[in-house]
Amino acid sequence: MTNISRRSLLVTLGAATLGLAGCTSSGGSDKSTDLSKNRTDAMDTFAVGQQFKATAPVTFSTLLNDNPGYPEKGNWLFWTELAKRTNVTLKPTVVPLSDYENKRSVILGAGDAPFLIPKTYPGQEAPFVASGAILPVSDYVDLMPNYKAKIAKWNLQGDVDTLLQDDGKYYVLPGLHEDVWIDYSFAIRTDVLDALGLQIPKTLDDLHSVLKAMKAAHPDSYPMTDRWSQPTPGGALLQTLGQAFGAGYGGGWGYQNATYDAGSDAFVLTGAMDQYKAMIDYAHTLVAEKLLDPESFTQTDDQAEAKFTSGKSFVISTNAQELVNTYRPGLAKSVPNAKIVKIAVPVGPAGDVKVGLRLENGLMISKKARDSKDFVAMMQFVDWLFYSDEGQIFAKWGVEGVTYTRDASGGFQLAKDVDYVGLNPTATKKLNVDFGFSNGNFAYGGSTQLLESTFSAEEKEFQKVMTARKTLAVPPPHPLNADEQEQFALWEAPLKDYVQQQTLKFILGDRPLSQWDAFKSELKGKNGDQYLKLVNTAYDRYRSKKNGSDKS
Amino acid sequence: MVTLDTTTVEDRPSTRPAGIRTTRGHRVFQTVNTVILLGVIVVTLYPIVNIVARSFSSDAYIRSGKVNLWPRGFNLTTYKAVMTNSMFWTDYRNTVVYTVVATVVAMFLTTCYAYVLSKKDLRGRGVLVGVAVFTMFFSGGLIPNYVLVTTLGLKNSVWAIALPNAISVFNLLVMKAFFEGLPAELEEAAAIDGLNTYGILWRVVLPLSKAVLATMVLFYAVSFWNSWFAAFLYMDHSDLMPVTVYLRNLIAGATNGTSVGFTEADATAVGANIQAVTIVLTTLPILVVYPFVQRYFVSGVTLGAVKG
Repeated sequence: MTNISRRSLLVTLGAATLGLAGCTSSGGSDKSTDLSKNRTDAMDTFAVGQQFKATAPVTFSTLLNDNPGYPEKGNWLFWTELAKRTNVTLKPTVVPLSDYENKRSVILGAGDAPFLIPKTYPGQEAPFVASGAILPVSDYVDLMPNYKAKIAKWNLQGDVDTLLQDDGKYYVLPGLHEDVWIDYSFAIRTDVLDALGLQIPKTLDDLHSVLKAMKAAHPDSYPMTDRWSQPTPGGALLQTLGQAFGAGYGGGWGYQNATYDAGSDAFVLTGAMDQYKAMIDYAHTLVAEKLLDPESFTQTDDQAEAKFTSGKSFVISTNAQELVNTYRPGLAKSVPNAKIVKIAVPVGPAGDVKVGLRLENGLMISKKARDSKDFVAMMQFVDWLFYSDEGQIFAKWGVEGVTYTRDASGGFQLAKDVDYVGLNPTATKKLNVDFGFSNGNFAYGGSTQLLESTFSAEEKEFQKVMTARKTLAVPPPHPLNADEQEQFALWEAPLKDYVQQQTLKFILGDRPLSQWDAFKSELKGKNGDQYLKLVNTAYDRYRSKKNGSDKS
Repeated sequence: MVTLDTTTVEDRPSTRPAGIRTTRGHRVFQTVNTVILLGVIVVTLYPIVNIVARSFSSDAYIRSGKVNLWPRGFNLTTYKAVMTNSMFWTDYRNTVVYTVVATVVAMFLTTCYAYVLSKKDLRGRGVLVGVAVFTMFFSGGLIPNYVLVTTLGLKNSVWAIALPNAISVFNLLVMKAFFEGLPAELEEAAAIDGLNTYGILWRVVLPLSKAVLATMVLFYAVSFWNSWFAAFLYMDHSDLMPVTVYLRNLIAGATNGTSVGFTEADATAVGANIQAVTIVLTTLPILVVYPFVQRYFVSGVTLGAVKG
C-alpha cells in the first residue's frame, strides 16, 4: 500500500490551512443579523415540539463518515423517510471512516466542502476557524429552538462555553448529553471471586485486596493485565484511576496538562498535583506487588485480550461492547464456566463522583451555506434532526411500527425482524446496516433515557450506579488567541509526552517515587510554568470580559 | 530450499586454482548468509501464512490470539459472506478498471515521452528532461492538486486516478536509458527502408524493448492496484472506490471503533476474519501474476541501469 506518512500529510494539511487563512480571513464581516434573503423554504415559525417541514422540497449536501460496519446505501429508509417528513433530501459525500479527517481537511481547505460536516469532535474545528471556511454557529442559535431548550433544560451552558474561541464564538454544534456517560470500567471474573469467597470490589482499596487474594491463590499469574495502551500507555486504566483520585480528567486518554483548581480559581499542572501522585502511587503498588502485569502499559490490545480470554488473568479494562463482543466469546472457548461482569467504577479518595464533558461529536457548517437562500431552512432542519426529541428518536430508532414499537411506559422495542447490537439476535435485518438508523453521523447524544434505550439489562444496571454519582463541574473556558494558540501548540505535546513517559517510569519502578520533587522541577524545564501562565492569562481575560459584559 | 554445498567443493580442489579455493571464512560467510536469508524468508512468509490461516479460522479463536500458522475453527462462511457482499465486488471491479485504464494511459504517455527524450540530437531535450525531473523535487501540494482536478471536472471519474499519476519520472528515466541503449544504426536502417518516426517506434524499437515494457507495466499496474489515496480523495461515493479503500476502511473500522472510545453507534466491530479474508482476496491477483512477470522485471530494470 502506498505509504504517505500520517505526519507528513498532517503537516501538509496544516500548512495548506494556514495558507488559506491568509487569503480568506480578511473576507469581511458577514451581517449575521440580516437573514431576509435566506428564508426560502423555511418555516415562518418553528418551535420546540413542532415537526420541521420545508415549504418546498430542498436538497442539502452533507459529508458522511462511512462506517464499514454499516456502509452507506442509497436506499436506506433513513433517507426516504427523512425526505417525507422534512422535505429535505440529503446529498452525501461519502468518505471512508479510515481517513475521514484527512478528506475533511482537504475539501475544507479547497473550498469544496458540503454544507453539513458531521462527526467533528470538539476541538477538531479549531484548525479551520482562522481560515474562515466554517460558520460561527453560535451566531445563529436563535434559529434553533430545540438546541437552546436542551441547553437550558440540562444546564449545559458551562459545557458549551468550553467550545468558545478567542472571538467569543464557537464553530461546532456539539452533540448534547443529559448526563456524563461513563462507559469504561473493569471487567472481572466473578467465578474466580466466588471460588475465593470474595465480593465484587467497590473501592480501589477493595480492588487492591481482591487482586492480592487472587495472587495468593494463583501465584504464577498476574491477576490483572490491561489494554488500551497504544498509543497512550494506560489509556483507559489511568483515566479511570486518575478520576477516582481527583486528578482532573485523569491520566491516560483523559490527561490534560492543565486542571482547574477551584480553591485557587486558577489552573494547575495536572502532572504535578498531589492527586496525580497518589494515582501513580496506587498503580505502582499494583505493579510492585506483581498484581498488575507490567506489560499492561506497552502490549497491544490483542496481547492483553489473549491473556484475559485464555484465563491467565482475571481483571481487565472494558467497555460495554468489548465485554460482550470480545471477552465473553473468547473466554467461552477456553474456560467454559467463566463468568464476567463489568463492575461499577471503583470509588477512590475523590468519592462518589464522575467527571467528563457532556458534549459529543457534532456538526460544523460550511461558511458557504450562510449565503444560500435556504440557510434558515437548513438551520431549522439541523435543529429538528439533531436536537429535537422527535428527530433524535427518528435518527436512532427509525420509524415506529416499521423498525420499532413503544410500550405503555415509553420503552423502546425493536421490531421482530430487526436487530441492533445483538438486542434481537434472531432477526434477519439490522437497524443500522439495512435501514440507516443509529448511524453515528446522525444519531448521538440526547436524554439518558434515549441513550440507555439500546443498552442491555446489565449495562443499565451499571449505568444506574454511575448516574447516581455526582457529576463534577467542567473547568471554565480559557479561549486562546491565535498567537497563544501557536505557542500553546509548541509546548503542549512535549510537556504531555514527558509527563506520560515519567508516569510510566514511576509506575513500573524504573524511577523511585522519592524523586517526585525532582520530577516536578523538571516540568519547569519543559516550559510547565510558561504553559500555565498562558492558560491562566487566557482564563483571566475570559473572566474579565465576561464580567464586563455581565455588568453592561 | 537452499542447501550448503561446500563439501563437494572441498572434494574437488583440483578443478579450482588454489587462490580462490573456498576458505574457512567463505564457508562461515555462506552459513551466516544462509541463516540470515532463511530468517528473512520466515519473517516475510509468516505474516502471509498467518493472514491466510486467519481467513479460514473462526473469529473467537482469532480474538483470543490462538491462530498462528494453521487455521483453527476451520470454516468458509466468511469467504462466502465476503464474496456475496456486492460492495466488495463493485469495488473490486473498480480496482480492475482503474488499474487497466491507468496503466494503459501511463504506458502510452511514458513510452512516447521516454522515446523522445532518448534522442540525443533533439533540440530542447535538456528542458524536457528538466520539466520531468523538476516534479520529482517539487509538487503542487495536496490542496492545489485537489482544486485542479476538481476544476477540470475529473472528480468521480477514472481520469482523476489515471491522469495525475500518468507519468512516473522514475519509470520515465529508466525507459529513456533503455531506449538510449538501442543501437542508433537499427533506426537509421529502418529510416532508409522508408519507415517514418512512428513506424520506427512501433515496428523496430518497441519489439526490441519487451523487457523494459513488461517491467514498466508491472511497476505501473502494481502501483495502481495498491494505490488508494487518489481514489479516496477524488471519489465521493463508496461504489466508486477501489477495493484498497474498502479494505483500509474495514481495518480501520475494526481497530478504531473499539480502541479509541468511539460513540456507541460506531463500536460495531468488524470481525477479524473478515479482514483477513478481504486481505487475501485483494492481494491474490498480484501474488499470482508476480512470479510470471518477475523475470522481465529483474532484467528490465538492470538493463536500463547498466546501459544508461
